[in-house]
Amino acid sequence: MIDRGFYIMMIRKMRFIIPVLLIAAVSAQGGTVYLSFIQHSTRNLFQTRDGVSDQISAFSLSINQDFSALSFLANLEYSAFRQTTGLSFFSADGGFDCLLPAGKKSAFYFAAGVAGAFYRREYAAFSSLGANLVGAFKTYLAPSSILKLQWQGVYAVYKDSLFDYWSQTASISIDKYFATRTTLKADAEWGYKYFLHPFLPEPIEPLTEPATMIATPIGMGTETGYGDGWGGQQYQGGNGFIPRTSSEDGGAGIGHVALSLLAAQGIGDVVGLSASAVQQWIITGENPFLSIEEFYLVQNPSADAFSWEGRQITGRITLNLPWSVELKAGYTYSDKTYPGVESLSLEGLPLGLVRNDLRHLFEARIEKNFRRVSIFLAYSHVDNGSSDPLFVWKSHYVMGGFEWNLPTGRKGGVS
Amino acid sequence: MSHKVALFSILAALIAGPAAGQTGAHFYNIDKEIRFEGTVREIVLEPRYKGTAPFLVLRVEDAGGGKRYNVEVSPSWFFGQDIHGGEKVKVVGSLSEATGSVPTIIARELQLRGETFKLRDKRGFPGWQGGPQRKRGIRRFGSF
Repeated sequence: MIDRGFYIMMIRKMRFIIPVLLIAAVSAQGGTVYLSFIQHSTRNLFQTRDGVSDQISAFSLSINQDFSALSFLANLEYSAFRQTTGLSFFSADGGFDCLLPAGKKSAFYFAAGVAGAFYRREYAAFSSLGANLVGAFKTYLAPSSILKLQWQGVYAVYKDSLFDYWSQTASISIDKYFATRTTLKADAEWGYKYFLHPFLPEPIEPLTEPATMIATPIGMGTETGYGDGWGGQQYQGGNGFIPRTSSEDGGAGIGHVALSLLAAQGIGDVVGLSASAVQQWIITGENPFLSIEEFYLVQNPSADAFSWEGRQITGRITLNLPWSVELKAGYTYSDKTYPGVESLSLEGLPLGLVRNDLRHLFEARIEKNFRRVSIFLAYSHVDNGSSDPLFVWKSHYVMGGFEWNLPTGRKGGVS
Repeated sequence: MSHKVALFSILAALIAGPAAGQTGAHFYNIDKEIRFEGTVREIVLEPRYKGTAPFLVLRVEDAGGGKRYNVEVSPSWFFGQDIHGGEKVKVVGSLSEATGSVPTIIARELQLRGETFKLRDKRGFPGWQGGPQRKRGIRRFGSF
């Protein structure tokens, strides 16, 4: 079903925004404009055992313009879902960043930005507005060794206020390059995410059957109050999103620390190899929601880098082939536990297990660069095991597209 | 309506901004494009153009004759990529004016660690984009 009102609204917004940005970009000498189109095909949009196929067309326009020491960044994107049209979304973000040198070997980096994503109909609860700040410092301890510190803070409000949050992440990394063309890197991260009001109020009449309470979608939250769940609930009988109830107002936080190691090796001029491992621990709190969902291409507020503990191991190879062709392939194994999220049977009954997923991910991507256009094709295969049977699934993902670099400087311009 | 006015104001300010880094003597000249292979000896941040952030500059020693070049990369690469002293690198770029006795190369393409990084298109138009801020967003399978 086509939401005519949404399209009219989108066309009106685009009719104003895109020409203005294009004119601005082309007029602004020395800027960089990217136009891209990516076509995605998936047989499991909601990443559950009940595969739902879809094709997604994503269009984006990015502008980067330097003036003085500041750089202005703006990005507009529209993703159209062919089957699950309600997931089609428009997103925009923009901001400034700057690089401040501290001597010849060190620099500070600061960035501030705002971002918005706008969904409609049954997924309107995902619509959000947010702001973020980044501060970073990088220095060369020696020509072959780099120290980096970074902090990032994010604040976001959603149409469904259950998801409103602020978060911050701080990390430190150090690396060393050896004459054998080996790079070793170690990274430590601390992160904390605080949901401002993630709980629904307790029902006035107590429910006598807990299983019924969990299996029945209670709604999409305090604002929208729709009776349907998302994803699996609406498509082939899964669980959908399940908020918790609480008699107390207030928020809930979840914090983690993570350690990661990376080793990279160059072989000749053609081959690059890397292996990395991440171990993450939840050190405070747990997920405030009773379920975690990941949708392909959609920034789902119930699942992100803050929601899990466990480990992830990745191996990658990059081949630099003739005629400006680059081939990348990788394998990632992950073992993730989601504290606070209980595994449920397909009937919605609690299994007494915290949800744990084991995932094997194979990825390959080939890219060919022309003078101003890059084209690529990527294939992925995911084999996901889980203590929650709804999330035992295998699927393929294919995407292909191009990125067009639009010149806005004078011919031969420096920057 | 007020937000439209605000947007126009911001864009007008951008349009009116300086034409960053254009100087008569220092620009990407495709007729002076060269390729060479060497070893990175030093990494520095240097002011290059009036009105822009400082650039990442690599001091590269040519693999053949030990000749040294200053390779001008981009402003954002200082945070976007980690290049180390001692790394082997292949450079495609335009030979520009010399700073002292060391020739300067405006890099269009760098090849290191088995990967090729495009900094400019074949006519020399820059293609780099922001620093760490650019890396946020959802992870897509196959996007690496």
